[in-house]
Amino acid sequence: MNGNSRDNPIDPPIVPQIDPPSAPPPLAQIQKWMQAVITHVEGVTAGIESETAREQINITPDEVEQVVTRSQALSSIQRLQIYAHAYTARLLECLREEFPALRAAIGDETFDAFAFGYLQRYPSQSYTLAHLAGKFPQFLRETRPNLAAENENSVGWPDLLIDLATLERTYSEVFDGPGVEQGERLQAEELMRIPPDRWPEVQLQFVPCFRLLELQSPVHEYATAVRQEGELDAPLPDARKTYLGITRRDYMVRRYPLSAVQFTLLTALHRGAPLADALEQAIDAGADVEALLSQLPEWFEMWAAAPFFLGIELPEAKVAAGE
Amino acid sequence: MTVARLGHPHLGLGLGLRSVHFSHILAHQPDVDWFEIISENFMDSGGRPRYVLDQIAERYPIVMHGVSMSIGSTDPLNLDYLRRLKQLADAVNARWVSDHVCWTGVAGINAHDLLPIPLNEETLRHVVGRIRTVQEILERPLVLENPSSYVTFASSTMPEWEFLRLMAAEADCGLLLDVNNVYVSSVNHDFDPVEYVRSVPAERIVQCHLAGHTNCRTHLIDTHDGPVIDPVWDLYRLLHRRTGGVSTLLEWDAKIPEFPVLHAEVLKAREQVSLLAGESASPSASASIPHVDPRSATVPHPASFVVAEAE
Repeated sequence: MNGNSRDNPIDPPIVPQIDPPSAPPPLAQIQKWMQAVITHVEGVTAGIESETAREQINITPDEVEQVVTRSQALSSIQRLQIYAHAYTARLLECLREEFPALRAAIGDETFDAFAFGYLQRYPSQSYTLAHLAGKFPQFLRETRPNLAAENENSVGWPDLLIDLATLERTYSEVFDGPGVEQGERLQAEELMRIPPDRWPEVQLQFVPCFRLLELQSPVHEYATAVRQEGELDAPLPDARKTYLGITRRDYMVRRYPLSAVQFTLLTALHRGAPLADALEQAIDAGADVEALLSQLPEWFEMWAAAPFFLGIELPEAKVAAGE
Repeated sequence: MTVARLGHPHLGLGLGLRSVHFSHILAHQPDVDWFEIISENFMDSGGRPRYVLDQIAERYPIVMHGVSMSIGSTDPLNLDYLRRLKQLADAVNARWVSDHVCWTGVAGINAHDLLPIPLNEETLRHVVGRIRTVQEILERPLVLENPSSYVTFASSTMPEWEFLRLMAAEADCGLLLDVNNVYVSSVNHDFDPVEYVRSVPAERIVQCHLAGHTNCRTHLIDTHDGPVIDPVWDLYRLLHRRTGGVSTLLEWDAKIPEFPVLHAEVLKAREQVSLLAGESASPSASASIPHVDPRSATVPHPASFVVAEAE
C-alpha cells in the first residue's frame, strides 16, 4: 500500500496500525547476540552497537532491557559487563599462568597487551583451556615488528618473545601430552646390540613427547630461573644460537642443550632419515667425521636415557622396544 | 515414582580435586570420602594429571564434573567431546557425570564461561532434547547443575527451579544443586533462595555443591575462593532436610588453601547436619554477609588450568 492508494475507492478504510506484541528472539539469536556483546573488544555498549550483534537483535544500548532485564541493584548493561569482564579476565589469567617466563621478561602490562590481541585474533574454539595458547607463538610471529637487535650480542625483543613463547608452549604440550612412562622405550643396550654393519640403515622412532627447538638465545636457562627459582628479575639472555631436545621423563619435562651438529643429526633422524644419511647431513654442515663417529655411542646412550627414542627400524625387520 | 538420587549412592563429603593438592593426596591418602574432577582437565591428558588421577581413582570414588558440554547452546553437540568424556568415565569408573544448565559459546567459539539461557518453553524443549541425546551417547543419566548467573532474560517465563523441575522430569536426568549458586543468583536476581531450595524436586538431586563467593555489594560473584558463608549453610541444611542427605562436595578454585584447610571446611557439613535436630523447619537465609573490596580480582568459576612442570 502506498500513499496514493487512499484515493482508490475500493481500498478499505485506514485503521490505526498497532504492532502485535513482538515474539522474543529465538535462542540461537540471543546466544549469538550475547556472545558478540560480551566478547567485544571495546566493551558491552560497543558490542550492542556492533554489526555482529545487530545482525542478530537490532537494538540500541538504551533498548537492551528488551533482551536482558535489570536487577534492583544493577542495570542490564552493568549485568552484561560482569560477563564481559570475566571473559577477558579468565582467559588472560590462563595465558599468564602458562607463560610465566615470558611475562617476567616483558612485564605484565606488555604481556597482557599481546595476550589480549591474541584472544581477539584466535578466540578459543576448543572444549579445553589446554588448547587456548596453541597458536600464541604463531600469533607473535605473525605480528612480529621488524626491529633489529641493539647490537650483535643482544637478542632482539621480537626473537626473545617468540622464543620464550615457543619454549613455554612446548613445555605445556610435552607435560600433558602422550609420554612413555607407562610403556616401553628404547634402551641404550638395545642400540648397542645392533651389528656395526647394520648401523647405516638404522632408522629411529622417537617418543611422542620429543621436540626439537632452534632458538636465538638460551631462553631455557632464563625460563628455569623464573619458573623453578622464582627469579623474576633474572638477567635476560644474550644472543647465542641455541638448540634444545625436549622430552619427558617421570612426568617432568626435560630439556637437553644440543650442539649444532647434534641438532642437525637429530633433525634428520626425526624426519625418518637412516643413520648414514643423517650423519652425511651433519658432515655437510661442517662436523668433523672422526670426532663425530667417536662421540656417537656416548650421544646415543645419553639420548636413549633421556628418553628421545621409542624403538629402531631396520629395513627388513622392525626391532621394537623390549624385543 | 523416582528413586531417590536416581539410585546413586550417597558418597558422603567430597572435595574438588585440584593439581596443587596432587602430591599431598598421594603422600598422605587423606580420609576424604570421594573426589570430583573437572572432566576437561583430564580427558585428553597423557601426562602427570592423568597418572595421578588413575592412582586416586584406585583409592577413592570419582565423580566427573564438566564445564564445556554446553548443553544449552544452539551449536551442534560436540560428539568427539562426548566420546572422550565417556572414555574417561569408563576408565576411572566415574560414579556419575555432571555439567551445568548453561551454554559456553556459539558459532564455534568457547567463551569458557557458564552462560545462562532464557528459561521458557522453547529453551526447555531444546535442552531436554539435547540431554536425551547426551544420555544415549554416555549410556548413563546426566546430572546437571544450576549455575551462578548475573543476567536474566526478558524472554524467561518461569523461575529457575521450575525449569529444573520440568527439565529433570522430561529428560529423566539428575540434578546437582549448588546451594552457593542458588544464593549467589538469588542476590543477583532478587529472588528468595529458600523458596528455590523448597521447590526443586528433592528426589532428582544426586549431589550438592558448596563453595565460597565474593560480595561486590551490588552483586555476588561465584569465585570459589573462600569458606562457605552462613546463609549458604542455612540452605544446605534445608536441602538436607528435604533430601535426607546427598553426596556433598566443596569446590575451591582460587586462593586455594592447604589441603587440611580444604578438608576441614567440607567436614563442617557434618556439624551443620547435627544442628538440624534442634532446628525448626523454617530456616531463613538472611544472615549478614561480610563485604569485601569489589576492586579485588573477581573472576567467576571456571578458571581451572593445568600448569606444566619443567626442569
